[in-house]
Amino acid sequence: MKKSASSKIIIVLICLYLVLPLILTFLYSIFTEWNEVLPKGLTLRYYKDILLDGNFLISVIHTIIVSIVPFIICTTVVLLALYVIVVYHPEWDKYTQMLCNIPYAIQGVILAISILSLYVNAPQPFSNRFVMVVLTYCIVILPYIYRGLKNSLDTINANRLIEAAQMLGANKFYAFFAVVVPNILSGITIVAMLSISMVFGDFVIVNIIGGSYFQTTQMYLYKKLFQSGQASSVVIVVMFGIALFMSAIMNSLKNKGRQNRKETN
Amino acid sequence: MIIIRSFAPEEGIGFTFEHYISIFTKRLYQQAVLNSVLIAIVSSLVGIIVAFLGAKAANEASSKWKDFFVNILNMTSNFAGIPLAFAFIILLGNVGVLVMFGKSMGISALANFDIYSAKGLLLTYIYFQIPLATLLLMPTFNGLRKEWKEAVMLLGGNNFVYWTKIAIPTIMPSMLATLSVLFSNAIAAYATAYALLSNNYSLLPIRISEQFVGDVVQRKEFGSALAVVLMLTMVIATSINNYFIKKSIGGGSR
Repeated sequence: MKKSASSKIIIVLICLYLVLPLILTFLYSIFTEWNEVLPKGLTLRYYKDILLDGNFLISVIHTIIVSIVPFIICTTVVLLALYVIVVYHPEWDKYTQMLCNIPYAIQGVILAISILSLYVNAPQPFSNRFVMVVLTYCIVILPYIYRGLKNSLDTINANRLIEAAQMLGANKFYAFFAVVVPNILSGITIVAMLSISMVFGDFVIVNIIGGSYFQTTQMYLYKKLFQSGQASSVVIVVMFGIALFMSAIMNSLKNKGRQNRKETN
Repeated sequence: MIIIRSFAPEEGIGFTFEHYISIFTKRLYQQAVLNSVLIAIVSSLVGIIVAFLGAKAANEASSKWKDFFVNILNMTSNFAGIPLAFAFIILLGNVGVLVMFGKSMGISALANFDIYSAKGLLLTYIYFQIPLATLLLMPTFNGLRKEWKEAVMLLGGNNFVYWTKIAIPTIMPSMLATLSVLFSNAIAAYATAYALLSNNYSLLPIRISEQFVGDVVQRKEFGSALAVVLMLTMVIATSINNYFIKKSIGGGSR
């Protein structure tokens, strides 16, 4: 019994260390002053200010665009590749896997500067900073998208589904996209949330490549950091809320998937 | 591309080791390499120790506690980069909450804590290492079977013998693998340090990006050389690690 008590203490201590900064940021955002031990002046004014700030809204829109577009591009490409692999050339899988793991090794700063120095003088569509950021994110999320989609394809046994559909008169391409893809929809959603929340949290790439050309919420936050503590803690709370919301969706989908599998077994 | 460029002189075409020589001879850049490696090593080690204790505790605790713990870890693993730096500034900055608390209570360790230093940076790095490391280590602890412990007890061993002879050698490979993930995570981390210390503390990722988007002069070739050094440290760390992993697997099977 003594043992489980000590393990509880360890868990509580670690949780405390992890949660403390979060709670404080939240408290900081709803008080006007905190110069002594206890804060003073409960208010929601800062939330109103930020949510009505045009720059913030623009940065949120930018963030949403640069996180969703790479996901759509990347998922489409990976799905097409997986279609060829599953239906025609299963032996190509190991090469694809190798290719998709490369981005793991090239992280953050190195990726950003490599792309910047390679494409900065390229012809128009590629030297546009917006295009550059979007395409860079495609590379960043590629390994996660590949892993996620591959795992969900493996669990549903895609080949048999395609054979069944073919027996009913569908061609292979139609079978893959009309039968297999809807079946892995929950897997796709999880991957979507994961990749979007990764892009949401990124500062390195957008700061180096996007720089002064356009703003995302992270950049907005960085600028606010030197102006007002309250305002930036509000931004953090809003951003963290979005991240939490997405991971809640992810978890509920995962649990649903697990339950479905249990029911079918 | 980066590798090729790192050997190019700053003007015209050619081949030179000049940038590498200056990295390892100029104090500023020596310091950057050293700081980066040190911070990465220390934060990974602390992270893995805490994660070991945490994962061990989670493994022993009831499933309700474990779920709670996993939820907290998942939640806080999203909390990194600039928001993290900011939260620590609120907590331990010049007028941070804990600093104020320390001042009014007379705890000088808290009152004089300087977050804008290597120590502060280390604290934030450890913060984002813990959730990652614990989440990676937890599955390994599930692999430890209760029967093994019972067997040790039956053969007359005690708890200490069980941990040093059975449990730790079993989980060693995944501990080491986690360690290398943590190391590359820390050495490439940029946003937290950038937000916390701007350019006041010499770290490799910050020095690299300076060469490309710098306020002063852009020196892409030199930056490339720095980037290659950063990649090299990762490769070296990973291969040292792989060596130990192989060794510990080999030793464990005999």
